[in-house]
Amino acid sequence: MSIDAALNSSIFLTYLAIVVGLLAIAGILLTIMGLLGKNVSSAWSSYRGWLVMVPIVMGTIFLGRTATIIGITLLALFGFREFARATGLYADWLMTGTVYVGIALLGLVVHLIDPRLKGPGWYGMFMALPVYVIGAVLLVPILRNRSKGQLQQVALAIVGFVYFGWMFSHLGYLANSPHAYGYLLYLIFAVEVNDVAAFTCGKLFGRHKLRENVSPNKTLEGSLGAVAISMLIPWLLSFSFPQFDPLHLILAGLIVGVGGQLGDLVISYIKRDIGIKDMGSVIRGHGGILDRVDSMIFVAPIFFHMVRWFHGLI
Amino acid sequence: MNDWKYHPSPSIDASMSETLRNFPREPTMLAYSVRSMAALILRGWMRIYHRMTVDGRENLPMSGSYILVCNHTSHLDTMSLLCSVPLRQIHRTFPAAAADYFFSSLPRSAFSAVLINALPFDREIRGAESLTVCSELLKNAGNVLIIFPEGTRTTTGDMARFRSGIGRLVVGTDLPVVPCHLSGGTKAWPKGKAFPRPRKLRLRVGEPQTFEHLEKNSNSVHKICSDLEESVAKLGGACE
Repeated sequence: MSIDAALNSSIFLTYLAIVVGLLAIAGILLTIMGLLGKNVSSAWSSYRGWLVMVPIVMGTIFLGRTATIIGITLLALFGFREFARATGLYADWLMTGTVYVGIALLGLVVHLIDPRLKGPGWYGMFMALPVYVIGAVLLVPILRNRSKGQLQQVALAIVGFVYFGWMFSHLGYLANSPHAYGYLLYLIFAVEVNDVAAFTCGKLFGRHKLRENVSPNKTLEGSLGAVAISMLIPWLLSFSFPQFDPLHLILAGLIVGVGGQLGDLVISYIKRDIGIKDMGSVIRGHGGILDRVDSMIFVAPIFFHMVRWFHGLI
Repeated sequence: MNDWKYHPSPSIDASMSETLRNFPREPTMLAYSVRSMAALILRGWMRIYHRMTVDGRENLPMSGSYILVCNHTSHLDTMSLLCSVPLRQIHRTFPAAAADYFFSSLPRSAFSAVLINALPFDREIRGAESLTVCSELLKNAGNVLIIFPEGTRTTTGDMARFRSGIGRLVVGTDLPVVPCHLSGGTKAWPKGKAFPRPRKLRLRVGEPQTFEHLEKNSNSVHKICSDLEESVAKLGGACE
């Protein structure tokens, strides 16, 4: 990945055309609906959010591998920060500091050259790092000679690191692949489509609650509709991965369709347990960073291991 | 097994600009590290570019809260006072800054809240309320408040009359007030200029004063103001 490669990549340019086209169509539709007297103010505010996010995401990928890995590591860091602020872990600076260092190290080993295989991305260390970071987190109470409430702090720190740091960082690792544009852009695009599909299908056909104690607004119909649409997407976007067999296309759709909604539900029960509505308020009309990337956290590592198993990464 | 207790940050739903404007400010690791870095850089800058010297640093109280009052000729006043307190106190040093200027936009608020650690002071409408915030702040030991009692930057080189806020804040309390005078500010960074010039700055720190013995009435408030004004002017005179 580099600026030259992006300019010469038909995959990157096609996705760019698709998102610009979709944003333009959505803008025109919203304007028309507004002129017809429908109340579209909340849709506008989330549309404005997209107008900010899309250029940032596309611009970062355009700039190349280093920028993409830095960008995804920053997202993981700020995502963990939101989690820490929501759970109250943020008051424990040594614990959160350890996790911040751990996530930054993840970004570093994703970017390093493997010392043995000489390819980009130090896979062995990427897989081994959680051992050391979890070890370091467990050491914090011993260093401080304190036991009261420490199990909760340690548990929150480990969940924060493994889930929001390590699992999410797999997305950055995909930037090391020769098919990085196809993988990354497909994942980002398909996960967002999956979110929108679940919401729309739920509004249109929703009758039965999916998990009323986790997320009361989600319906079985919405969820199944989203899986169905997500299963279609890899076939429509099959130019992203010319090396894929039909089996891989089916898996790619299934991983996004199921994994995306699982990620959503995980954040939902975390928020419900804590008793908050949004994880933050960084993106106007969308809530916090975690409210936006929640679906990706589950999808990224499973998709990563699927492509690594079938095609290898370098 | 007992349920876990979560303590979400109180400002979790607040927007970025609200979070920055809220006071007392929530301590966050990010803001602390950025501020510490900025303080180190600022100290280097003031010493090298402005060849700043501080006389009477030993007059700063070693413990407890106190107030620094200073003449106000440029933004460099705040910077030099921030450089005169010990580095470990940097996160507990709050320059009172005009909310209508320093917290008027998101980038400005971010600068004031994160780098300067400014206390948003409403000098127009809710002055009394802002004074309450100040006195609450000073009840906790170890906090330093920086106040420019003139209320605005002066351009002529002469000091303006001290406004009554400082008097109302300290009358009848044992809070030490440390008068300071910065000379060279007018030449180093004239009001209205975008960048400071490499002129010498000299900060003189006077002896702390307390006003415990005075009764709470407007006469004492005026007396405090004129006393402090005189002390600051005297420090300035000693500089020339």
